[in-house]
Amino acid sequence: MSKATRWFLVVLALAVAIVAFAIAQPGEDDGGEQGNAGETSAETAPTATAPSAPKPPPDGPDATVIELTGHAVDEVSDIEVAKGDPVRLIVRSDEPDDIHIHGYDLERPAGPGKPARFMFPATIEGIFEIESHEAEHVGKDALIARLVVEPS
Amino acid sequence: MTEVLPVAHGIVGRSDLPIPEWLFGWAAAVVLVVSFVALAVLWPEPRLSRATFKPLPRLSRVLLGRPLDLLCGLLGVALLGVTVYAGFDGSQTATANFAPTFVYVIFWLGLVGLSVLFGNVYRAFNPWRALGRAVSWVSRTAARGPLPAPLSYPERFGHWPAAVSIFLFAVLELAASDGDTPQTIAIAALVYSLIQFVGMALYGVEEWTERGDGFSVYFGLFARISPWGVRDGVVGLRLPLAGLADFRPLAGTVPLLAVTIGSVTFDGAAEAPIWTGIAPDISDFLQTLGLSPEKALEATFLIGLVAAISVVYGFYMLGVRGARSVGGGFTASELSRAFVASLVPIAFAYVAAHYFTLLLYQGQAILSLSTNPFGFLASNPLGEVGTDIFGTADRSIDYGVIGATSAWYWMVGFVVLGHVAALTAAHDKALTIYSDVKLAVRSQYWMLAVMVGFTSLALWLLSQANQ
Repeated sequence: MSKATRWFLVVLALAVAIVAFAIAQPGEDDGGEQGNAGETSAETAPTATAPSAPKPPPDGPDATVIELTGHAVDEVSDIEVAKGDPVRLIVRSDEPDDIHIHGYDLERPAGPGKPARFMFPATIEGIFEIESHEAEHVGKDALIARLVVEPS
Repeated sequence: MTEVLPVAHGIVGRSDLPIPEWLFGWAAAVVLVVSFVALAVLWPEPRLSRATFKPLPRLSRVLLGRPLDLLCGLLGVALLGVTVYAGFDGSQTATANFAPTFVYVIFWLGLVGLSVLFGNVYRAFNPWRALGRAVSWVSRTAARGPLPAPLSYPERFGHWPAAVSIFLFAVLELAASDGDTPQTIAIAALVYSLIQFVGMALYGVEEWTERGDGFSVYFGLFARISPWGVRDGVVGLRLPLAGLADFRPLAGTVPLLAVTIGSVTFDGAAEAPIWTGIAPDISDFLQTLGLSPEKALEATFLIGLVAAISVVYGFYMLGVRGARSVGGGFTASELSRAFVASLVPIAFAYVAAHYFTLLLYQGQAILSLSTNPFGFLASNPLGEVGTDIFGTADRSIDYGVIGATSAWYWMVGFVVLGHVAALTAAHDKALTIYSDVKLAVRSQYWMLAVMVGFTSLALWLLSQANQ
C-alpha cells in the first residue's frame, strides 16, 4: 500500500467519524461553560425567611418533599432537573438536623415543624449528594437524596 | 428498601452523569473504524523501538542536577510528613483534613497526569527514595568508605511487590470502609514507608525504587507514554509511546497492569446498576455467614475488586493464547510480557476517563486544605486553632470549570486516544518480535480484539455510571 493510500484511508476515517458525530449529536450547544452564572442568587433565595412565599415558576417542577425519620430516609431518591431549571426541595425531619447540598454548597437547618426549604436555579451540571449532617452521629448513611442536573 | 452502598471516595460530593447513548454508540463505532483502519495503514517496519532520542544535555544538567534533586526530594519528604502528621493529629473529618484529598486525588491521580505529560517526575519527588539516599549518604560519610554491597534483587520478585502494593492501595481506596479516614491513611503511609526502608536497605535504593516501590513503578509506567525520557543519564525527547517499546517487563508486570485496569473497572462498575443490583445480595449472604454488616460490605467490595481484576487478567491472557495460536514459537508467558506495555495506554485511558473530573474538581480543594492541613476551624471549643498559611482558606471548589457535556467529550476522547495508542504500541511490538510480518499481523487480530474489548468496557462503564 502506498503512502498516499494510507493517508487517504486515515483522512477518510476521520471524515466519517466527524460526519457521524455531527449527525449523532442531538443539541447544538455545549452549554456547560457558564456554570457559575446564576449561582450568587442561589443563597439569597428567600425561602428560609418566608416559607410560604416562593411561587412555583410556571414551567418548574413541583417541590420535592423528603421525609427524614431519625436522620434517615426509606429510600434515596433522585431529584432530576435540567440545567437552568429551579430546584425546589423541602426536607422535613422529626429531629434537629442540618441538610447539605454538595456542589451548590447550600446548608439549612431542619427540625420538627421547621422543614429545610431550598429554592435555587440548577446552574451546575452533574450529580450532587444531599446529606444529613446528623446521620453519622447515629451511625446511619448520610446520603438522603441525589440532585441530578442534566445539560439543558 | 434500597441499601445505600458506601461511596468509596468519601471525600467527594459530586459524581459524573452517565454519557448519553448517542455518544456511547458513536464512540464504539469510531473505535471499530479506527481499529480496522489501523490494521490497514500502520507501518510495516517497527518505528517506536527504533525511534530517535534527542538528548538535551543542558536542560538535563538542571533537571537531574543535585540542587533540584535535593529540593524536590525535600518537598516530597515534607509532604509525606504533613500527610502523616495531619492524618494522626488533624480533624478526622475526611473532607476537612489534608491527607485524604492529597493522597487519593493530588498524589494518586495528579501524578498520573504529570507523568504522561512530563515523564518520570515522581522519581525526583519520591519521598522514600529521597530518604533512602539521605540515609545512605549519612552512613557512607560516617563509615568513611563504601557501604557493603546490597543483595541482588531476586528475579522472581520482579514487579510483584509493586503489584501487591497497588492492589492494597486499591483495597484501601475502594473496599475499606474507613479508607478515607485521615488516621487510616497516616497508618498506611507509615506501614508503606517501613516496607520501602526494608526493601531499600536489602536491595539498594535505586534497585528497589525501580522495581519494588509500588508507586514508583506505577507512575514510571505512565511516564513511558510521555515524549520526555532519560537515556544514559541524559534527559531528552522521543516519540510519544517510544518509552513503551524500551520497557522490559518482569515477573508480576502483567498482574500489575491487571490490578490497575481492574481496580478502575471495579470503581466504575460500583457506580453502575450491574453492581448496585447484586452487591446487597452478596452482602446479605455474607451476613448470614456471621459477618457484621460493616465487615460484610467490606468483604463484598473486596470480592468485587478481585473479580474485576481477575476478569481483566483473564481477558488479556485469552487474547495472548489466541495470539500464540498463530505460531512463532512463543510461550504464553513470553507473549503476555511482550505485549503488556501496550496495556499501559489502556490503563491511562481508564484512569483518565474515570477520574478526570475528580481531579479537576476535588483537586481544587487542595487550595483550602493545604492552607489548613489539620482541618480545624478558625477556633473551636477544644482549643485547636485552624491555620491559614497560604491565605487560601476561603477558596471553594468551582464546579463550573467545565460542563457535563465537555466532560463527556474529554472522557470519550481519553478512551479513544488510549485505544489508538495501545494498538500502535502493540503493532510495533509485534513487528519487532515476529520474524515474519504476516505472523505479526495475524497475532494482531487477537490483540486488536483484546483492545476493542477493553475499550468497549471502558465506554460501557462510562454510560452506566451513577444511573
